[in-house]
Amino acid sequence: MVSRLKEPVFILGVGCTRFGNLLETPEIKGLTLQELAARAAAEAFADAGIEPNEIDAVIVGNVTMQTSNMPATYSQIAKWVGAQFKAGVHIDGACSTTNIGVTLGAMGIASGVYRKVLIVGLESTLSQPKKFSPYERVSIPTEEMWLWTDACVNQAYSVPQGYDIFPTYNGFIAQAYCRKHGVSIEDFDKGMFELCRTRRLHGSMNKKAILQQTLDDEAAGYGFSDPFEFWVSAYNPFLAWPSRLRSVVTAADGASAVILSSADGIDPNAPMPVEVKGWGVTVSDLPWYGDDPTYMAYDRISFDKAYAMSGIQPADIDYLHVHDCSHISSICTAELSGYLPEGRGLTLARDGSLRFDGSRPMSTHGGRHAFGHAWAASAGADTYEAVKQIRGLCGDRQIPKAPHTAVVHTHGYAMVSTVMVYEGR
Amino acid sequence: MNESIIRTYYENLAAGLLVGKKCRACDCITFPPTALCEKCGKPDLEDVTLSGEGEVLFISHSMAPPPNPRFNDLAPYAYGHVRLAEGVFVQGIVADVGVEPVEMAALYERCPLPVRARILTVEDLPILAFDLV
Repeated sequence: MVSRLKEPVFILGVGCTRFGNLLETPEIKGLTLQELAARAAAEAFADAGIEPNEIDAVIVGNVTMQTSNMPATYSQIAKWVGAQFKAGVHIDGACSTTNIGVTLGAMGIASGVYRKVLIVGLESTLSQPKKFSPYERVSIPTEEMWLWTDACVNQAYSVPQGYDIFPTYNGFIAQAYCRKHGVSIEDFDKGMFELCRTRRLHGSMNKKAILQQTLDDEAAGYGFSDPFEFWVSAYNPFLAWPSRLRSVVTAADGASAVILSSADGIDPNAPMPVEVKGWGVTVSDLPWYGDDPTYMAYDRISFDKAYAMSGIQPADIDYLHVHDCSHISSICTAELSGYLPEGRGLTLARDGSLRFDGSRPMSTHGGRHAFGHAWAASAGADTYEAVKQIRGLCGDRQIPKAPHTAVVHTHGYAMVSTVMVYEGR
Repeated sequence: MNESIIRTYYENLAAGLLVGKKCRACDCITFPPTALCEKCGKPDLEDVTLSGEGEVLFISHSMAPPPNPRFNDLAPYAYGHVRLAEGVFVQGIVADVGVEPVEMAALYERCPLPVRARILTVEDLPILAFDLV
């Protein structure tokens, strides 16, 4: 398979709302999904320094139709993001949606059909329209949200026969990691604690994150002077032994947007563009692994494709985000990518190496636990962070030496494995 | 009416049989069955009945309440990652196993453990589960 862009493609602008709850979070409370998308797109246009009418196509992603009630999302969102009468489509790559949108947009540009493309992802995972109201929403129970989300996985066999994401994506992988690398369950727990602590630190420095309280402050709020005592308490139960509640995703509402451009579409005064160097996309279905739950073959293929297309090696990566709905799965993926040494991920989490100011910075926006997860919007939020890190605009959580090469990986449920390679100019 | 591969799978389960498809081109077993060989994509498949014997490599547990209301009366339940004797990997409920952390920890130390298929009927649907043996 030929895997090269015929022309270079650049990210010209990015936008992202705060991830939170449309019913509670001040920055987005009371908004509809149309307005959420419009806000993300408006930020991306301002960031790119272009007008909406300069866009040739818009790609809009949304996963959970039950909460949006907009199956034809593109046509309904177009007027809200200034893309009326443009080409476009609604896509669903689950939690990889906005990454898939970037690949489709980049191919449209590299083929010469488009010069500029807008990608938007929007999602509510916490509420749904109230009795078909155009603006009033009601919260949904967690298990109902997962029922609808699990529609993304094997409906023929796995889901009807008792499939549950938490043992499959957490418990089995955690046990396999411990057995494979000789890690005790106690040390695993300490590693997971420190990884969560790092992600929550990053979230506390990010005004767009759903969780902006450090783990230490949360523990103190519950009366614990030792945050690890809080970690092992009943406030942080096993969700799928030995993985705990705070090692997994925090569901959120949110929207993100990315504007792509060809080289000849870039105004000399535009903010520093970031090049889309390459990617790898690989799909699969349950079961996600064989003998070794820490090894997902489709991720190996995606990383290999992305490295070959972009011409980079793991040693070239300055910043990495991998899908971290499951913190232990994210450690496995980071090791598979070559960014972290095999079997050392938890040790590096414990010594602070994965912090924004550590030697192997990861997920500086807070990742899926602290930044939050709004399915179709999340990959765009990951790209938003990568672009801002490359530009040196992340404030308190800025990686001291702004990264030149950033890699963003996502697991779309499931599986749509994507690996994106971005480079500063 | 056309024959449904999915319906046939569950009807076989109801009869106590684990029936997949074996590829005549590459010998790969696709279980549960699909329309094409999951390895090479070829359509030349024949039925193959699996033994139901295997090993559970890891056991963890589900959440409760469960997303799928079919399992309201069962959750939380033990859930296992199983390698069948024929080399196929499946995941399913491990019956009659407690899900307290101390029980999970003990099973982690003992796994892998031999298992045998057990067909449970959950709200009229036969499903593939496993017994420790």
